[in-house]
Amino acid sequence: MSLLSRKGCNSSGLGALYECEAAQGKQVSLETTGSDPSERERLADCIEQIAAAQSRPAFAEVFEYFAPRLKSYLMRLGSDSSSAEEIMQEVMLNVWRKAGQYDRRQASVSTWIFRIARNRRIDTLRRTNKPELDAEDPMLQPAPAEQPDITVNRAQLETKVRGVIETLPEEQLVLLKAAFYEGLSHSEIAKSFGLPLGTVKSRIRLAFMRLRGSLERDH
Amino acid sequence: MLDDNLDPTISPKESDSFEERATPMGKATINDFGEVYSSYAAGCLDPAFCLLVETQSALRPEVARAVARAETIAGVFFETEERAAISAGAMDTALAMIDAFEAGERPQARLRAATLAGEGLDELLHLPEPLRETALTSFQSNKWQGLTQGIRRLKLDAGSDAEVELYRIEPGCTVPRHSHKGSEFTLVVSGGFSDESGSFGPGDISLKGPNDTHQPTGDLDGVCYALAVRDGGLKFTGMMGLIQRLVGQ
Repeated sequence: MSLLSRKGCNSSGLGALYECEAAQGKQVSLETTGSDPSERERLADCIEQIAAAQSRPAFAEVFEYFAPRLKSYLMRLGSDSSSAEEIMQEVMLNVWRKAGQYDRRQASVSTWIFRIARNRRIDTLRRTNKPELDAEDPMLQPAPAEQPDITVNRAQLETKVRGVIETLPEEQLVLLKAAFYEGLSHSEIAKSFGLPLGTVKSRIRLAFMRLRGSLERDH
Repeated sequence: MLDDNLDPTISPKESDSFEERATPMGKATINDFGEVYSSYAAGCLDPAFCLLVETQSALRPEVARAVARAETIAGVFFETEERAAISAGAMDTALAMIDAFEAGERPQARLRAATLAGEGLDELLHLPEPLRETALTSFQSNKWQGLTQGIRRLKLDAGSDAEVELYRIEPGCTVPRHSHKGSEFTLVVSGGFSDESGSFGPGDISLKGPNDTHQPTGDLDGVCYALAVRDGGLKFTGMMGLIQRLVGQ
């Protein structure tokens, strides 16, 4: 059994993938298409229009932007093309359903949708086909109230992470990405990049110190 | 501002017991869990451990913050994700799914809590989410089993190969001394228990390796509920190094 679940994903190929991307002149670092502020505002407007008026043109715009990116994320974690597309469709339906819960002061659309996709992806890892509990069932009351996310201001955190991460050296950035976006353990990263475990740990640690240092200067 | 420390693996000076140093057979610290949070954030963590992380987040604000930091980093990387080719009819499929949803079609049968009514339902209602829902759903097919005097357990279906159980320990009652085929992670949900390695309160995680034995006794100030996740002696592959370090192998 593995704590990590990446169906069909060969982590030892990741080092090669990065080399391949580098050879094609593609940057692994942040190409900031998704972090362009005006684009972020436009996408947030779209979600609000879905919530307020069930706007299908707004949904179409969000779909066009995110569907290919969601599919790419799911395939990166090991889904084949058709199951990635199936999960992507479920995520997009959830975007439609949950649009009313989106708060632009709390998070960008991109990180909000990413969390929906991440949760859906974890659901697909669960080997269970039992019926869901009916949340409306009076027997289940009183349900514990949904706690407002008062301990974390995600939007603020996001702005800071975005700013700092763009200044990280490539060698730290690729490892940070492997850990936080591809979900690899430090020893898996060491193996797939052909680096000593200590080097992996110290580079990830350096990246964090950088993030931390910048946050402290802001206060 | 300490709260803004982004590094789940470099902990600020939060004076909570979850921040204490780990011992091989003892209490897990937030430092030990950096890699667990990052693989959770990415969507790669085994479902049983997702349940553990999510339930602990509901109990401990500093865990919720560490998870949110990891999720934010993952979310920022998602902004740079490439565009995969999607099938030509994908947009039509999406709109058809919305039509079906708006027409009131629900893909899955809903389970009525009434079918769960009976002994043991009330106490499950007070568990924090998402443990509450997992326990209620599991309760339709699994029942509380008596282990010894004052000790009961409910097998949970977390959709994982790991064994997942909810323990109910009455005050002063002792789980018989036992060892484990593999590693065991036990999260105290409410109340507390003590064993040779210390006292564990709500939000604490006890770590036990295959060579550890212990004999936990429920604290006297109330019933203790605890979530136990065990690998059942199966070989871990992915995060083997991490698990070995956590349990001191």
